[in-house]
Amino acid sequence: MAPIKDRFTIHSKAVVCQDVDLRGEITIGSGTVVHPKATIFAITGPIVIGANCIIEEAVIIINRKKEVMRIGDENLFEIGCRVECPSIGDFNTISTRARVHYTLRLTSYCVIGAGCLVVLPEEEVLEEHTVIYGPASERRVWSGRGHIQELDLRRKHSEYLRETLPKFNRLRRGDGA
Amino acid sequence: MPASILYHCTCTSVPSSSVIGAPPAPFTAPPPQHPLHAFGFHPLPTLYFCEECDDVSGYYCPNCLFEVPSASVRAEKNRCARNCFLCPQCSNTLSIVSSDPPLNPDNRHPPVINSVGDPPFFLYCNYCRWDSAEAGITFDKPTGLALQLQKTEDSSPDTLEFDRLKEHFEPLIRISHVQPTAITAHTIQTHSHSALSAINAAASSALARDVPGLRRKRVDPNAAKDEYGAYYRSRIDSISGGGEVHAEVEWLKDMAQEEFLLGDVSRLEQRWVGSWVQSLKSIDLKPLRIPLHSKQTKRCPKCRHILIKPEQKSQSTRYKIKLMAANYLPSIDVLLVPPLTAQPSATLSRATGGKAKQSGAAADDANAGQALQQGKTYAFQLAFTNPLYEPIQVRMTVQRPQSKQGKRAPFAVSLPTSSFSISAFAEAWEYDDEEDAEINDDDIEDMLAGRGTDGSLAARDSGKKGASNSTVGVLERKANVTKVGGEVVIGRESDGNVQFNVLVSYTYRADDPTEETGSSAAPKTAVSGGGENKTFSFYIVVDLGTISPAS
Repeated sequence: MAPIKDRFTIHSKAVVCQDVDLRGEITIGSGTVVHPKATIFAITGPIVIGANCIIEEAVIIINRKKEVMRIGDENLFEIGCRVECPSIGDFNTISTRARVHYTLRLTSYCVIGAGCLVVLPEEEVLEEHTVIYGPASERRVWSGRGHIQELDLRRKHSEYLRETLPKFNRLRRGDGA
Repeated sequence: MPASILYHCTCTSVPSSSVIGAPPAPFTAPPPQHPLHAFGFHPLPTLYFCEECDDVSGYYCPNCLFEVPSASVRAEKNRCARNCFLCPQCSNTLSIVSSDPPLNPDNRHPPVINSVGDPPFFLYCNYCRWDSAEAGITFDKPTGLALQLQKTEDSSPDTLEFDRLKEHFEPLIRISHVQPTAITAHTIQTHSHSALSAINAAASSALARDVPGLRRKRVDPNAAKDEYGAYYRSRIDSISGGGEVHAEVEWLKDMAQEEFLLGDVSRLEQRWVGSWVQSLKSIDLKPLRIPLHSKQTKRCPKCRHILIKPEQKSQSTRYKIKLMAANYLPSIDVLLVPPLTAQPSATLSRATGGKAKQSGAAADDANAGQALQQGKTYAFQLAFTNPLYEPIQVRMTVQRPQSKQGKRAPFAVSLPTSSFSISAFAEAWEYDDEEDAEINDDDIEDMLAGRGTDGSLAARDSGKKGASNSTVGVLERKANVTKVGGEVVIGRESDGNVQFNVLVSYTYRADDPTEETGSSAAPKTAVSGGGENKTFSFYIVVDLGTISPAS
C-alpha cells in the first residue's frame, strides 16, 4: 500500500491545535475549530471539512473509502465520538462517545445521541431532522422547533472557541499558509 | 464465573412462631439445592445489621430537589407540583424553552434572539428532542406551568372518575370506621374485607353497565347493592367512548396497509403510567409530572430499632443513623488457587518472605475464567477482614453438601474447624512498626515447621502463626486480615456449581456495657460468658464456580 501522503489545507481562519493527529489529505474550512487530541485519519481517501465545524477532544474521524469524505458546515462533534460516515451534511450534532458506522450517511439537522452505537447492515441515508437516542439507538424525527436558537448557540460556541483556544494552545498552520 | 461469597439473612424466611418472646426454632440455612436458596443470600454491602423495610422519612422531587411536606404529597398525587415534567418518549426531564423568533423575510441578517425568549413556550426534551408542541401543549409564560396545566388535568376523564369514586366511598369508610373500636389484627382484617367487598360491588356494577351490541340477561339493579345499601354507577358510559375507539381501530387498520412507522404507535411502557386507557398514537403522548422519590428509614423487624435514617435535606446523601452489616460482620473474600501441581512454587515464594498475596494473585490471574475440572483438588483462600476495634475469634462449620438420588456427593470441602483469631482494626499508621516484626516471625516459623501434612490446627492456638499444611489452615495474618486456606476435592462424575454453606460464628469481647444486644441478621444469637463475650453466627454461601465437563 502506498504510504499515506500528508497534505493539509487549513484555512487561515480555522483554528487547529498543534496536538491534533492528522494523516492523509485533509482540507479544513474557514472558522472550523479542532481541539487538541482530536484524530483525523484520511487513510484511504481524502477528507474535506466544511466551515464553522467544532471538533472536540478525542474525536476520531476516519475515511475508509476511496471517495472523498465530505463534512458540511456547522457540525458539532462532541468529545470521544467516532465517525466514519462517508458524507455528512450541515448542522448535525454527534454527541459524546457516539459511534457511527461507515454505512450511514448523514444529511442535515440530525442528532446522534450520547453513547449511541449506530451500525447498520446496509447503506442508508439518514433523513433530515432524525434524532437517534437511547441505549438501543431508537430514532425519531425532530420537528425542527428551536433550530434557530440552536444555530445561534452554536455560532456563539465556535466564536468563543476561536477566541480562547489560541490563547492556551499552539496552533498548527496549513502547508500553504 | 469468579468465586463469590454471599451472606444469609432471614428476611425472606417465614417466622416459625408468631408469639413474641418464644425462643426461635433451631435454624439451618437451606442447602444450595433447595429452591429457597437463591433468595436468602445477599452480598455483604447490601445488608444492614438487622433488616426490614419501613417508614418514609420524606419526599422530594428528583429534578428540582424540592422537599415536599408529607401533607401535600397526597394532594399532589405523589408528583412534583412545580415545573418538573417527564418526557413521554424517553423519560428524561423536560426543560422549558421558548419558540424560535420569527425569521426575517429576506433572510440576509441573522434573526434577533430575544434573551428572555418569545412566546409561546413549550416543554422540550434535550435528549430525544421531543417537544410538547407535538402534543399540543404550549404555555404563555415560562413560569408557573403547574397552574397552567391544572385546568386540563382537572378535566381529564380519570381525574373525574377518581373524584366520583372518592365521593362514593368516603361515607362508607366513615361508617366502617365507627363500628370496630379496638384495633386488633382481627378487626383490621375485617375492615379491609368490608372495603374490599364495597370495591367489588362497585366493580361488578361497572361491569354490568350496558354494552352496545351485546345482548345480555337483564341484571336486577337491586342485586348489585352491597351491605351498605348503596351501589356505585359509573358515569362514564362506554357508548360515549365508542366513537374514539372506532377511530383508533380505523387508524390501526390503515397503518397495516400503508407504510408502517414504528414510532407512530406508543410503546406499552409509555402508556401504562396513566391510569386510564390512552390513545395508541405517539402523537397523543402527554408530558407527565415527575413522580416524587422518597427517602426511607428502615427498622429491625424484631426489636424495632432504627437501622438507617437519612438526613432530611434532599441534597445530602448522608445518614444520621447508619448500622451497616459491613461494620459489624467480618468481610469475607474468596480466592481460588490453581490446582495442587502449582502449589510448591507458591509456598516456596511464601517461605522466602514474599507476600503470600502476590503469589496467589499471580496464579489466579493465570487461571482466571477457568472452570473447575472434575477429579482435581483445588485450594482456595478465604480472607477475613475484621471491621471491629476488638480482636475476634472465628470458627467455621461446613454444611455437608447433600448427595441426591444415592449418588456420591459432588465435592468434598475441608476447612479448618478450630477457631482462629483476627486482629482488631486500627488505622494504617499504627501498623508500621508491628509489620516488620510479624513477617520475620512468620518466616522463621514457616521454615521451622516445614511443610508438614498435619492439617489440624488444634494444637496451635491463636497468636501463633500456623503453616503446617500449606493449603488448609490459617495462612497469613496481616493487620486485621486473616487468610485461611481450604480445599475442595471435586469428584470424577460431578457437575454443576460448587456451592456450599458455611456457618461462621465469631466471638468478641464487648467492653462497652451499653452495646446493643438486639438480635442480628443471624438466626442464632447466643450470649456466652458473663455478658462480656458476644457471639454472632451467620451463614454464608461460598460459590467457587462451575464444574466443567472433562474434555
